[in-house]
Amino acid sequence: MATTAEIRAGLDDYRQRCNDNARLRKMLRSWTRVVHFTATDTDAAFTVLIDKGEIVDVQERAQGAPDLVISATSEDLADMFWGDLNPAQKYLTGEIAVKGSAEDVMRVDAMASLIWID
Amino acid sequence: MSELRRAMGLRTVVSTSTGLAFAAIEYLAVAGLLSVVAGRLAWLAVLVAGLVVLLAWAFFSELCGIFPTAAAIRRYMQAAMDDRVALTVTLTYMTTIVLVIAADAYIVGSAVADALSQPRWLITVWIAGLLLLATWTNLRGVTVAGRVQDAATTVIVLVTAGIAVLAVTETPTAAAQLADAGRSTSVAGFVQAVALGILLFSAFEWVTTNAEEVREHHHIPRGMLVSLGILASVCALLAYGMGHLLSAEEASTAFPQLALGRHVLGDTGYAVMVVITVLTALNTFNGGFITASRFVYATAREGSLPPSMARLNDNLVPWVPVLVLAGTSLVVSVLVALTGAWQVLLGVGAALESMIFAVAGYCVWALRRRQPHVHRPFRMALAGPLGLLGTVLFGLLGLVASVTVEDELDLRPLGIILGMAALAAVYVLTVVPRLQAAARARAVAAPRRRPVTVPEEA
Repeated sequence: MATTAEIRAGLDDYRQRCNDNARLRKMLRSWTRVVHFTATDTDAAFTVLIDKGEIVDVQERAQGAPDLVISATSEDLADMFWGDLNPAQKYLTGEIAVKGSAEDVMRVDAMASLIWID
Repeated sequence: MSELRRAMGLRTVVSTSTGLAFAAIEYLAVAGLLSVVAGRLAWLAVLVAGLVVLLAWAFFSELCGIFPTAAAIRRYMQAAMDDRVALTVTLTYMTTIVLVIAADAYIVGSAVADALSQPRWLITVWIAGLLLLATWTNLRGVTVAGRVQDAATTVIVLVTAGIAVLAVTETPTAAAQLADAGRSTSVAGFVQAVALGILLFSAFEWVTTNAEEVREHHHIPRGMLVSLGILASVCALLAYGMGHLLSAEEASTAFPQLALGRHVLGDTGYAVMVVITVLTALNTFNGGFITASRFVYATAREGSLPPSMARLNDNLVPWVPVLVLAGTSLVVSVLVALTGAWQVLLGVGAALESMIFAVAGYCVWALRRRQPHVHRPFRMALAGPLGLLGTVLFGLLGLVASVTVEDELDLRPLGIILGMAALAAVYVLTVVPRLQAAARARAVAAPRRRPVTVPEEA
Protein backbone atom coordinates (compact mmCIF):
# COMPACT_ATOMS: atom_id res chain seq x y z
CA MET A 1 0.00 0.00 0.00
CA ALA A 2 1.53 3.34 -1.04
CA THR A 3 1.37 6.32 1.27
CA THR A 4 -0.11 9.65 0.27
CA ALA A 5 3.42 11.10 0.26
CA GLU A 6 4.62 8.41 -2.15
CA ILE A 7 1.76 9.06 -4.54
CA ARG A 8 2.36 12.79 -4.23
CA ALA A 9 6.05 12.37 -5.06
CA GLY A 10 5.09 10.39 -8.16
CA LEU A 11 2.49 12.95 -9.14
CA ASP A 12 4.95 15.82 -8.78
CA ASP A 13 7.43 14.02 -11.03
CA TYR A 14 4.63 13.24 -13.50
CA ARG A 15 3.59 16.90 -13.53
CA GLN A 16 7.13 18.02 -14.24
CA ARG A 17 7.56 15.53 -17.08
CA CYS A 18 4.21 16.44 -18.65
CA ASN A 19 4.89 20.15 -18.49
CA ASP A 20 8.41 19.72 -19.90
CA ASN A 21 7.23 17.65 -22.85
CA ALA A 22 6.81 20.08 -25.75
CA ARG A 23 5.03 17.59 -28.02
CA LEU A 24 2.54 16.68 -25.33
CA ARG A 25 1.88 20.35 -24.59
CA LYS A 26 1.22 20.91 -28.28
CA MET A 27 -1.12 17.95 -28.44
CA LEU A 28 -3.10 19.10 -25.42
CA ARG A 29 -3.00 22.80 -26.33
CA SER A 30 -6.77 23.24 -26.15
CA TRP A 31 -7.42 20.87 -23.25
CA THR A 32 -8.54 22.35 -19.94
CA ARG A 33 -9.82 19.91 -17.35
CA VAL A 34 -10.16 19.10 -13.65
CA VAL A 35 -9.06 15.54 -12.92
CA HIS A 36 -9.52 13.69 -9.64
CA PHE A 37 -7.25 10.76 -8.79
CA THR A 38 -8.56 8.70 -5.88
CA ALA A 39 -7.05 5.69 -4.15
CA THR A 40 -9.51 2.89 -3.52
CA ASP A 41 -7.64 1.35 -0.58
CA THR A 42 -6.61 4.50 1.32
CA ASP A 43 -8.14 7.93 1.75
CA ALA A 44 -5.59 9.52 -0.62
CA ALA A 45 -7.14 11.77 -3.26
CA PHE A 46 -5.70 14.44 -5.55
CA THR A 47 -7.09 17.13 -7.76
CA VAL A 48 -5.08 17.96 -10.87
CA LEU A 49 -5.90 21.15 -12.71
CA ILE A 50 -4.94 21.19 -16.39
CA ASP A 51 -5.08 24.47 -18.26
CA LYS A 52 -4.46 24.37 -22.02
CA GLY A 53 -2.35 21.26 -21.67
CA GLU A 54 -0.30 22.47 -18.70
CA ILE A 55 -0.72 20.94 -15.26
CA VAL A 56 -1.03 24.18 -13.34
CA ASP A 57 -1.90 22.86 -9.90
CA VAL A 58 -2.03 19.68 -7.86
CA GLN A 59 -4.06 19.66 -4.67
CA GLU A 60 -4.36 16.96 -2.08
CA ARG A 61 -8.05 16.03 -1.62
CA ALA A 62 -10.75 15.85 -4.25
CA GLN A 63 -11.88 19.43 -4.76
CA GLY A 64 -14.50 20.92 -7.05
CA ALA A 65 -16.54 19.22 -9.75
CA PRO A 66 -14.24 17.09 -11.93
CA ASP A 67 -14.34 16.37 -15.65
CA LEU A 68 -12.64 13.06 -15.07
CA VAL A 69 -12.27 10.77 -12.05
CA ILE A 70 -9.60 8.05 -12.05
CA SER A 71 -9.66 5.46 -9.27
CA ALA A 72 -7.13 2.74 -8.52
CA THR A 73 -5.28 1.23 -5.60
CA SER A 74 -2.66 3.49 -4.04
CA GLU A 75 0.09 1.18 -5.36
CA ASP A 76 -1.24 1.38 -8.91
CA LEU A 77 -1.59 5.16 -8.71
CA ALA A 78 2.00 5.54 -7.54
CA ASP A 79 3.29 3.10 -10.19
CA MET A 80 1.23 4.87 -12.86
CA PHE A 81 2.70 8.28 -12.05
CA TRP A 82 6.22 6.83 -12.11
CA GLY A 83 5.54 5.11 -15.42
CA ASP A 84 6.03 1.63 -13.97
CA LEU A 85 2.74 0.27 -15.24
CA ASN A 86 0.72 0.47 -18.42
CA PRO A 87 -2.50 2.29 -17.46
CA ALA A 88 -4.28 1.03 -20.60
CA GLN A 89 -3.74 -2.59 -19.54
CA LYS A 90 -4.96 -1.87 -16.01
CA TYR A 91 -7.97 -0.03 -17.41
CA LEU A 92 -8.90 -2.92 -19.70
CA THR A 93 -8.73 -5.35 -16.78
CA GLY A 94 -10.85 -3.06 -14.61
CA GLU A 95 -8.10 -2.38 -12.05
CA ILE A 96 -8.16 1.28 -12.97
CA ALA A 97 -11.71 2.67 -13.05
CA VAL A 98 -12.64 5.86 -14.83
CA LYS A 99 -15.59 8.23 -14.80
CA GLY A 100 -15.67 10.76 -17.63
CA SER A 101 -15.65 11.03 -21.40
CA ALA A 102 -13.76 8.50 -23.51
CA GLU A 103 -11.86 11.33 -25.23
CA ASP A 104 -10.57 12.60 -21.87
CA VAL A 105 -9.61 9.07 -20.83
CA MET A 106 -7.61 8.72 -24.02
CA ARG A 107 -5.84 12.01 -23.38
CA VAL A 108 -4.79 10.95 -19.90
CA ASP A 109 -3.52 7.66 -21.30
CA ALA A 110 -1.66 9.54 -24.03
CA MET A 111 0.01 11.69 -21.37
CA ALA A 112 1.29 8.58 -19.59
CA SER A 113 2.37 6.95 -22.82
CA LEU A 114 4.14 9.98 -24.31
CA ILE A 115 6.16 11.16 -21.35
CA TRP A 116 7.77 7.74 -21.02
CA ILE A 117 8.30 7.15 -24.73
CA ASP A 118 9.62 10.58 -25.76
CA MET B 1 -17.38 9.40 -6.26
CA SER B 2 -17.63 13.10 -7.20
CA GLU B 3 -20.35 14.28 -9.54
CA LEU B 4 -18.98 15.02 -13.02
CA ARG B 5 -19.05 18.58 -14.32
CA ARG B 6 -20.25 17.42 -17.73
CA ALA B 7 -22.23 14.22 -17.99
CA MET B 8 -24.52 12.67 -20.58
CA GLY B 9 -28.22 12.86 -19.87
CA LEU B 10 -30.95 10.54 -21.10
CA ARG B 11 -31.69 12.65 -24.20
CA THR B 12 -28.08 12.44 -25.38
CA VAL B 13 -28.00 8.69 -24.71
CA VAL B 14 -31.12 8.28 -26.88
CA SER B 15 -29.76 10.43 -29.71
CA THR B 16 -26.34 8.76 -29.57
CA SER B 17 -27.82 5.27 -29.68
CA THR B 18 -30.25 6.20 -32.47
CA GLY B 19 -27.64 8.18 -34.41
CA LEU B 20 -25.14 5.30 -34.32
CA ALA B 21 -27.76 2.93 -35.71
CA PHE B 22 -29.39 5.28 -38.22
CA ALA B 23 -26.80 5.34 -41.00
CA ALA B 24 -27.57 5.66 -44.71
CA ILE B 25 -27.44 1.86 -44.88
CA GLU B 26 -30.76 1.94 -42.99
CA TYR B 27 -32.60 2.99 -46.17
CA LEU B 28 -30.88 0.33 -48.20
CA ALA B 29 -31.59 -2.31 -45.56
CA VAL B 30 -35.30 -1.43 -45.50
CA ALA B 31 -35.45 -1.65 -49.30
CA GLY B 32 -33.48 -4.90 -49.05
CA LEU B 33 -36.35 -6.41 -47.05
CA LEU B 34 -38.57 -5.87 -50.09
CA SER B 35 -36.38 -8.23 -52.07
CA VAL B 36 -37.28 -11.12 -49.77
CA VAL B 37 -40.82 -10.36 -48.60
CA ALA B 38 -43.92 -8.50 -49.80
CA GLY B 39 -44.29 -4.85 -48.83
CA ARG B 40 -47.39 -5.53 -46.73
CA LEU B 41 -45.29 -7.92 -44.60
CA ALA B 42 -41.99 -6.00 -44.56
CA TRP B 43 -43.15 -3.56 -41.87
CA LEU B 44 -44.22 -6.49 -39.72
CA ALA B 45 -40.82 -8.14 -40.19
CA VAL B 46 -39.21 -4.90 -38.94
CA LEU B 47 -41.38 -4.91 -35.81
CA VAL B 48 -40.72 -8.61 -35.16
CA ALA B 49 -36.97 -7.99 -35.58
CA GLY B 50 -37.34 -5.11 -33.11
CA LEU B 51 -39.07 -7.41 -30.60
CA VAL B 52 -36.31 -10.01 -30.98
CA VAL B 53 -33.67 -7.29 -30.52
CA LEU B 54 -35.29 -6.50 -27.16
CA LEU B 55 -33.53 -9.65 -25.96
CA ALA B 56 -30.21 -8.15 -27.05
CA TRP B 57 -31.18 -4.92 -25.28
CA ALA B 58 -31.61 -6.85 -22.04
CA PHE B 59 -28.25 -8.61 -22.56
CA PHE B 60 -26.34 -5.39 -23.15
CA SER B 61 -28.13 -3.63 -20.28
CA GLU B 62 -27.08 -6.34 -17.83
CA LEU B 63 -23.51 -6.56 -19.16
CA CYS B 64 -23.09 -2.79 -19.22
CA GLY B 65 -24.31 -2.66 -15.61
CA ILE B 66 -21.63 -5.12 -14.51
CA PHE B 67 -18.92 -3.46 -16.63
CA PRO B 68 -19.80 0.23 -16.95
CA THR B 69 -16.79 1.05 -19.09
CA ALA B 70 -15.82 1.82 -22.67
CA ALA B 71 -13.85 -1.43 -22.56
CA ALA B 72 -16.94 -3.45 -21.60
CA ILE B 73 -16.89 -5.69 -24.67
CA ARG B 74 -13.35 -6.84 -23.83
CA ARG B 75 -14.15 -7.20 -20.13
CA TYR B 76 -17.31 -9.30 -20.35
CA MET B 77 -15.98 -11.53 -23.09
CA GLN B 78 -12.72 -12.10 -21.18
CA ALA B 79 -14.77 -13.00 -18.10
CA ALA B 80 -17.10 -15.35 -19.96
CA MET B 81 -14.79 -17.19 -22.37
CA ASP B 82 -11.22 -17.91 -23.38
CA ASP B 83 -9.43 -14.64 -24.13
CA ARG B 84 -8.23 -15.83 -27.54
CA VAL B 85 -11.81 -16.58 -28.58
CA ALA B 86 -12.93 -13.25 -27.10
CA LEU B 87 -10.31 -11.31 -29.07
CA THR B 88 -11.13 -13.18 -32.30
CA VAL B 89 -14.83 -12.40 -31.91
CA THR B 90 -14.11 -8.77 -31.04
CA LEU B 91 -11.84 -8.21 -34.04
CA THR B 92 -14.37 -9.86 -36.38
CA TYR B 93 -17.16 -7.73 -34.90
CA MET B 94 -15.16 -4.54 -35.44
CA THR B 95 -15.31 -5.17 -39.18
CA THR B 96 -19.00 -4.17 -39.05
CA ILE B 97 -17.76 -0.59 -38.61
CA VAL B 98 -15.77 -0.91 -41.84
CA LEU B 99 -18.88 -2.27 -43.55
CA VAL B 100 -21.10 0.55 -42.31
CA ILE B 101 -18.59 3.23 -43.32
CA ALA B 102 -18.08 1.57 -46.70
CA ALA B 103 -21.83 1.23 -47.25
CA ASP B 104 -22.43 4.86 -46.31
CA ALA B 105 -19.68 6.08 -48.63
CA TYR B 106 -21.22 4.03 -51.44
CA ILE B 107 -24.80 5.18 -50.74
CA VAL B 108 -23.95 8.85 -50.27
CA GLY B 109 -21.63 8.81 -53.29
CA SER B 110 -24.35 7.20 -55.42
CA ALA B 111 -27.02 9.62 -54.18
CA VAL B 112 -24.90 12.69 -54.87
CA ALA B 113 -23.93 11.41 -58.34
CA ASP B 114 -27.61 10.78 -59.08
CA ALA B 115 -28.63 14.20 -57.78
CA LEU B 116 -26.06 15.84 -60.08
CA SER B 117 -27.07 13.59 -63.01
CA GLN B 118 -23.51 12.29 -63.25
CA PRO B 119 -22.49 8.99 -64.88
CA ARG B 120 -22.10 5.86 -62.74
CA TRP B 121 -18.32 5.78 -62.95
CA LEU B 122 -18.18 9.07 -61.06
CA ILE B 123 -19.64 7.31 -58.00
CA THR B 124 -16.18 5.91 -57.21
CA VAL B 125 -14.74 9.42 -57.40
CA TRP B 126 -17.39 10.66 -54.95
CA ILE B 127 -16.70 7.71 -52.64
CA ALA B 128 -12.97 8.43 -52.67
CA GLY B 129 -13.64 12.13 -52.12
CA LEU B 130 -15.98 11.51 -49.18
CA LEU B 131 -13.59 9.10 -47.49
CA LEU B 132 -10.69 11.47 -48.12
CA LEU B 133 -12.63 14.30 -46.49
CA ALA B 134 -13.60 12.07 -43.53
CA THR B 135 -9.98 10.95 -43.12
CA TRP B 136 -8.62 14.48 -43.29
CA THR B 137 -11.09 15.86 -40.73
CA ASN B 138 -10.43 12.90 -38.42
CA LEU B 139 -6.65 13.29 -38.67
CA ARG B 140 -7.06 17.00 -37.91
CA GLY B 141 -8.86 15.98 -34.74
CA VAL B 142 -12.10 17.61 -35.86
CA THR B 143 -15.05 16.00 -34.11
CA VAL B 144 -18.69 16.84 -34.40
CA ALA B 145 -19.83 18.36 -31.14
CA GLY B 146 -22.38 16.36 -29.14
CA ARG B 147 -25.08 18.98 -29.64
CA VAL B 148 -24.57 19.07 -33.41
CA GLN B 149 -24.77 15.27 -33.50
CA ASP B 150 -27.96 15.37 -31.40
CA ALA B 151 -29.49 17.92 -33.76
CA ALA B 152 -28.42 15.99 -36.88
CA THR B 153 -29.92 12.75 -35.55
CA THR B 154 -33.17 14.48 -34.63
CA VAL B 155 -33.49 16.04 -38.09
CA ILE B 156 -32.66 12.74 -39.86
CA VAL B 157 -35.17 10.72 -37.85
CA LEU B 158 -37.96 13.32 -37.95
CA VAL B 159 -37.65 14.02 -41.68
CA THR B 160 -37.44 10.30 -42.50
CA ALA B 161 -40.47 9.60 -40.33
CA GLY B 162 -42.35 12.50 -41.97
CA ILE B 163 -41.58 11.28 -45.49
CA ALA B 164 -42.54 7.73 -44.46
CA VAL B 165 -45.88 8.88 -42.97
CA LEU B 166 -46.67 10.81 -46.13
CA ALA B 167 -45.78 7.73 -48.19
CA VAL B 168 -48.10 5.53 -46.13
CA THR B 169 -51.02 7.90 -46.72
CA GLU B 170 -50.48 8.02 -50.51
CA THR B 171 -52.44 5.81 -52.91
CA PRO B 172 -50.25 2.86 -53.90
CA THR B 173 -48.63 3.21 -57.31
CA ALA B 174 -49.34 0.67 -60.04
CA ALA B 175 -45.62 -0.10 -60.33
CA ALA B 176 -45.40 -0.82 -56.59
CA GLN B 177 -48.45 -3.07 -56.74
CA LEU B 178 -46.95 -4.90 -59.68
CA ALA B 179 -43.64 -5.34 -57.87
CA ASP B 180 -45.38 -6.49 -54.70
CA ALA B 181 -47.41 -9.09 -56.54
CA GLY B 182 -44.20 -10.94 -57.37
CA ARG B 183 -42.75 -10.82 -53.87
CA SER B 184 -42.72 -13.63 -51.37
CA THR B 185 -45.42 -14.03 -48.74
CA SER B 186 -43.99 -17.32 -47.48
CA VAL B 187 -42.88 -18.04 -43.92
CA ALA B 188 -39.33 -18.60 -45.20
CA GLY B 189 -39.32 -15.15 -46.81
CA PHE B 190 -40.66 -13.58 -43.63
CA VAL B 191 -37.99 -15.28 -41.47
CA GLN B 192 -35.33 -14.08 -43.89
CA ALA B 193 -36.74 -10.54 -43.66
CA VAL B 194 -36.58 -10.71 -39.86
CA ALA B 195 -32.96 -11.91 -40.08
CA LEU B 196 -32.06 -9.01 -42.38
CA GLY B 197 -34.12 -6.68 -40.19
CA ILE B 198 -31.62 -7.17 -37.37
CA LEU B 199 -29.27 -4.92 -39.35
CA LEU B 200 -31.69 -2.00 -38.88
CA PHE B 201 -30.81 -1.98 -35.18
CA SER B 202 -27.10 -2.50 -35.75
CA ALA B 203 -24.87 -0.42 -33.45
CA PHE B 204 -27.65 0.76 -31.10
CA GLU B 205 -25.60 -0.95 -28.36
CA TRP B 206 -22.42 1.05 -29.04
CA VAL B 207 -23.77 3.69 -26.69
CA THR B 208 -22.76 1.34 -23.85
CA THR B 209 -19.20 2.57 -24.48
CA ASN B 210 -20.38 5.88 -23.01
CA ALA B 211 -21.22 4.22 -19.66
CA GLU B 212 -18.44 6.14 -17.90
CA GLU B 213 -19.90 9.52 -18.77
CA VAL B 214 -23.61 9.17 -18.08
CA ARG B 215 -25.22 11.06 -15.24
CA GLU B 216 -27.16 8.03 -14.00
CA HIS B 217 -26.39 4.44 -14.81
CA HIS B 218 -30.00 3.62 -15.72
CA HIS B 219 -29.86 6.17 -18.55
CA ILE B 220 -28.06 3.62 -20.73
CA PRO B 221 -30.73 0.85 -20.61
CA ARG B 222 -33.56 3.38 -20.81
CA GLY B 223 -31.93 5.31 -23.62
CA MET B 224 -31.29 2.15 -25.64
CA LEU B 225 -34.91 1.08 -25.15
CA VAL B 226 -36.26 4.41 -26.39
CA SER B 227 -33.83 4.27 -29.30
CA LEU B 228 -35.06 0.78 -30.27
CA GLY B 229 -38.64 2.08 -30.19
CA ILE B 230 -37.73 4.98 -32.47
CA LEU B 231 -35.78 2.79 -34.89
CA ALA B 232 -38.52 0.14 -35.06
CA SER B 233 -41.28 2.74 -35.63
CA VAL B 234 -39.45 4.75 -38.29
CA CYS B 235 -38.15 1.70 -40.15
CA ALA B 236 -41.55 -0.03 -40.08
CA LEU B 237 -43.17 3.10 -41.56
CA LEU B 238 -40.40 3.34 -44.11
CA ALA B 239 -40.82 -0.32 -45.10
CA TYR B 240 -44.55 0.12 -45.53
CA GLY B 241 -44.10 3.36 -47.46
CA MET B 242 -41.47 1.91 -49.79
CA GLY B 243 -43.58 -1.18 -50.46
CA HIS B 244 -46.52 1.15 -51.13
CA LEU B 245 -44.90 3.46 -53.67
CA LEU B 246 -41.61 2.17 -55.08
CA SER B 247 -41.33 0.15 -58.25
CA ALA B 248 -39.04 -2.89 -58.27
CA GLU B 249 -36.41 -0.84 -60.08
CA GLU B 250 -36.58 2.05 -57.59
CA ALA B 251 -36.35 -0.30 -54.62
CA SER B 252 -33.26 -1.97 -56.03
CA THR B 253 -31.14 1.18 -56.44
CA ALA B 254 -28.52 2.36 -53.95
CA PHE B 255 -30.76 5.29 -52.98
CA PRO B 256 -34.42 4.16 -52.63
CA GLN B 257 -35.03 6.98 -50.14
CA LEU B 258 -34.57 9.57 -52.90
CA ALA B 259 -37.28 7.94 -55.01
CA LEU B 260 -39.54 7.82 -51.96
CA GLY B 261 -38.98 11.53 -51.34
CA ARG B 262 -39.85 12.30 -54.97
CA HIS B 263 -43.05 10.22 -54.80
CA VAL B 264 -44.42 12.13 -51.81
CA LEU B 265 -43.12 15.68 -52.32
CA GLY B 266 -41.88 15.80 -55.91
CA ASP B 267 -38.49 17.42 -56.59
CA THR B 268 -38.53 19.06 -53.15
CA GLY B 269 -38.86 15.66 -51.49
CA TYR B 270 -36.04 14.32 -53.62
CA ALA B 271 -33.78 17.24 -52.67
CA VAL B 272 -34.70 16.92 -48.99
CA MET B 273 -33.76 13.24 -48.98
CA VAL B 274 -30.44 14.00 -50.73
CA VAL B 275 -29.63 16.41 -47.90
CA ILE B 276 -30.76 13.89 -45.25
CA THR B 277 -28.63 11.16 -46.85
CA VAL B 278 -25.57 13.40 -46.77
CA LEU B 279 -26.39 14.28 -43.15
CA THR B 280 -26.34 10.59 -42.13
CA ALA B 281 -22.73 10.46 -43.32
CA LEU B 282 -21.86 13.14 -40.75
CA ASN B 283 -22.81 10.78 -37.93
CA THR B 284 -21.32 7.67 -39.52
CA PHE B 285 -18.01 9.19 -40.53
CA ASN B 286 -17.65 10.99 -37.21
CA GLY B 287 -18.88 8.22 -34.89
CA GLY B 288 -17.58 5.28 -36.94
CA PHE B 289 -14.04 6.60 -37.39
CA ILE B 290 -13.77 7.69 -33.76
CA THR B 291 -15.20 4.46 -32.30
CA ALA B 292 -13.09 2.16 -34.45
CA SER B 293 -9.81 4.08 -34.28
CA ARG B 294 -10.04 4.53 -30.49
CA PHE B 295 -10.84 0.86 -30.03
CA VAL B 296 -7.82 -0.11 -32.12
CA TYR B 297 -5.70 2.36 -30.12
CA ALA B 298 -6.82 0.81 -26.80
CA THR B 299 -6.24 -2.73 -28.10
CA ALA B 300 -2.75 -1.75 -29.23
CA ARG B 301 -2.00 -0.12 -25.87
CA GLU B 302 -3.21 -3.30 -24.21
CA GLY B 303 -0.62 -5.20 -26.28
CA SER B 304 -2.92 -7.17 -28.57
CA LEU B 305 -2.22 -5.14 -31.71
CA PRO B 306 1.12 -3.80 -33.03
CA PRO B 307 2.39 -0.72 -31.11
CA SER B 308 2.26 1.30 -34.35
CA MET B 309 -1.54 1.24 -34.05
CA ALA B 310 -1.22 3.35 -30.87
CA ARG B 311 0.88 6.09 -32.48
CA LEU B 312 -0.69 9.51 -32.10
CA ASN B 313 -0.31 12.55 -34.30
CA ASP B 314 -0.08 16.10 -32.95
CA ASN B 315 -3.89 16.29 -32.80
CA LEU B 316 -3.94 13.24 -30.50
CA VAL B 317 -5.46 11.07 -33.18
CA PRO B 318 -4.29 7.45 -33.63
CA TRP B 319 -3.43 8.08 -37.27
CA VAL B 320 -2.49 4.56 -38.35
CA PRO B 321 -5.92 3.07 -37.47
CA VAL B 322 -7.65 6.02 -39.19
CA LEU B 323 -5.69 5.43 -42.40
CA VAL B 324 -6.21 1.65 -42.27
CA LEU B 325 -9.93 2.14 -41.67
CA ALA B 326 -10.25 4.63 -44.53
CA GLY B 327 -8.25 2.43 -46.90
CA THR B 328 -10.24 -0.71 -46.11
CA SER B 329 -13.55 1.14 -46.37
CA LEU B 330 -12.49 2.60 -49.73
CA VAL B 331 -11.65 -0.84 -51.12
CA VAL B 332 -14.94 -2.34 -49.89
CA SER B 333 -17.12 0.54 -51.11
CA VAL B 334 -15.46 0.69 -54.54
CA LEU B 335 -15.88 -3.08 -54.86
CA VAL B 336 -19.58 -2.70 -54.03
CA ALA B 337 -19.90 0.20 -56.47
CA LEU B 338 -18.27 -1.79 -59.28
CA THR B 339 -20.17 -5.02 -58.64
CA GLY B 340 -23.46 -3.54 -57.36
CA ALA B 341 -23.45 -6.34 -54.79
CA TRP B 342 -24.84 -4.29 -51.91
CA GLN B 343 -27.22 -7.10 -50.96
CA VAL B 344 -24.14 -9.15 -49.99
CA LEU B 345 -23.03 -6.28 -47.76
CA LEU B 346 -26.44 -6.28 -46.05
CA GLY B 347 -26.23 -10.04 -45.45
CA VAL B 348 -22.74 -9.75 -43.94
CA GLY B 349 -23.79 -6.82 -41.73
CA ALA B 350 -26.96 -8.51 -40.48
CA ALA B 351 -25.15 -11.77 -39.77
CA LEU B 352 -22.30 -10.06 -37.91
CA GLU B 353 -24.75 -8.09 -35.78
CA SER B 354 -26.72 -11.26 -34.98
CA MET B 355 -23.43 -12.92 -34.09
CA ILE B 356 -22.56 -10.27 -31.51
CA PHE B 357 -26.09 -10.43 -30.06
CA ALA B 358 -25.68 -14.21 -29.75
CA VAL B 359 -22.30 -13.75 -28.04
CA ALA B 360 -23.85 -11.23 -25.63
CA GLY B 361 -26.56 -13.78 -24.74
CA TYR B 362 -23.90 -16.39 -24.07
CA CYS B 363 -21.94 -13.94 -21.89
CA VAL B 364 -25.04 -13.14 -19.80
CA TRP B 365 -25.68 -16.85 -19.30
CA ALA B 366 -22.03 -17.69 -18.53
CA LEU B 367 -21.53 -14.78 -16.12
CA ARG B 368 -24.68 -15.69 -14.17
CA ARG B 369 -22.96 -19.05 -13.56
CA ARG B 370 -19.38 -17.83 -13.07
CA GLN B 371 -20.07 -14.62 -11.14
CA PRO B 372 -23.50 -15.13 -9.55
CA HIS B 373 -22.90 -12.67 -6.70
CA VAL B 374 -21.58 -9.73 -8.71
CA HIS B 375 -23.72 -6.60 -8.30
CA ARG B 376 -25.99 -6.17 -11.32
CA PRO B 377 -27.63 -2.72 -11.48
CA PHE B 378 -29.75 -4.07 -14.33
CA ARG B 379 -30.84 -7.64 -13.73
CA MET B 380 -32.76 -9.24 -16.59
CA ALA B 381 -35.46 -11.75 -15.70
CA LEU B 382 -34.85 -15.43 -16.58
CA ALA B 383 -31.30 -14.60 -17.62
CA GLY B 384 -30.21 -18.24 -17.77
CA PRO B 385 -32.82 -19.63 -20.18
CA LEU B 386 -33.22 -16.36 -22.08
CA GLY B 387 -29.45 -16.05 -22.46
CA LEU B 388 -29.27 -19.46 -24.06
CA LEU B 389 -32.44 -18.90 -26.09
CA GLY B 390 -31.02 -15.61 -27.38
CA THR B 391 -27.74 -17.27 -28.30
CA VAL B 392 -29.55 -19.94 -30.33
CA LEU B 393 -32.09 -17.52 -31.84
CA PHE B 394 -29.57 -14.91 -32.94
CA GLY B 395 -27.23 -17.67 -34.08
CA LEU B 396 -29.95 -19.04 -36.36
CA LEU B 397 -30.95 -15.59 -37.63
CA GLY B 398 -27.30 -14.84 -38.33
CA LEU B 399 -27.00 -18.09 -40.24
CA VAL B 400 -30.12 -17.32 -42.31
CA ALA B 401 -28.80 -13.82 -43.12
CA SER B 402 -25.40 -15.19 -44.09
CA VAL B 403 -26.58 -17.85 -46.57
CA THR B 404 -29.20 -15.92 -48.53
CA VAL B 405 -28.93 -12.94 -50.84
CA GLU B 406 -32.24 -11.51 -52.04
CA ASP B 407 -34.38 -14.65 -51.96
CA GLU B 408 -31.75 -17.07 -53.24
CA LEU B 409 -29.33 -19.38 -51.47
CA ASP B 410 -26.00 -17.61 -51.64
CA LEU B 411 -22.99 -18.43 -49.51
CA ARG B 412 -20.99 -15.28 -50.23
CA PRO B 413 -21.88 -13.48 -46.93
CA LEU B 414 -20.99 -16.59 -44.93
CA GLY B 415 -17.76 -16.99 -46.90
CA ILE B 416 -16.78 -13.37 -46.20
CA ILE B 417 -17.53 -13.71 -42.48
CA LEU B 418 -15.68 -17.01 -42.15
CA GLY B 419 -12.75 -15.52 -44.05
CA MET B 420 -12.60 -12.53 -41.71
CA ALA B 421 -12.99 -14.75 -38.63
CA ALA B 422 -10.21 -17.07 -39.89
CA LEU B 423 -7.89 -14.11 -40.44
CA ALA B 424 -8.68 -12.82 -36.94
CA ALA B 425 -8.11 -16.27 -35.41
CA VAL B 426 -4.79 -16.75 -37.18
CA TYR B 427 -3.71 -13.30 -36.02
CA VAL B 428 -4.77 -13.99 -32.42
CA LEU B 429 -3.08 -17.40 -32.33
CA THR B 430 0.18 -16.49 -34.05
CA VAL B 431 0.88 -12.74 -33.78
CA VAL B 432 -0.67 -11.79 -30.42
CA PRO B 433 1.49 -14.22 -28.37
CA ARG B 434 4.62 -12.72 -29.97
CA LEU B 435 3.45 -9.15 -29.27
CA GLN B 436 2.68 -10.04 -25.68
CA ALA B 437 6.03 -11.78 -25.21
CA ALA B 438 7.83 -8.73 -26.59
CA ALA B 439 5.87 -6.44 -24.27
CA ARG B 440 6.72 -8.65 -21.27
CA ALA B 441 10.41 -8.64 -22.25
CA ARG B 442 10.38 -4.84 -22.52
CA ALA B 443 8.70 -4.57 -19.11
CA VAL B 444 11.28 -6.88 -17.48
CA ALA B 445 14.18 -5.02 -19.10
CA ALA B 446 12.93 -1.56 -18.14
CA PRO B 447 14.37 -0.26 -14.88
CA ARG B 448 11.83 0.48 -12.16
CA ARG B 449 11.54 4.24 -11.85
CA ARG B 450 9.61 4.54 -8.62
CA PRO B 451 12.04 5.10 -5.75
CA VAL B 452 12.12 2.39 -3.12
CA THR B 453 10.93 3.78 0.17
CA VAL B 454 12.19 2.21 3.36
CA PRO B 455 9.52 2.15 6.04
CA GLU B 456 10.53 4.08 9.14
CA GLU B 457 11.19 1.95 12.19
CA ALA B 458 8.66 2.35 14.93
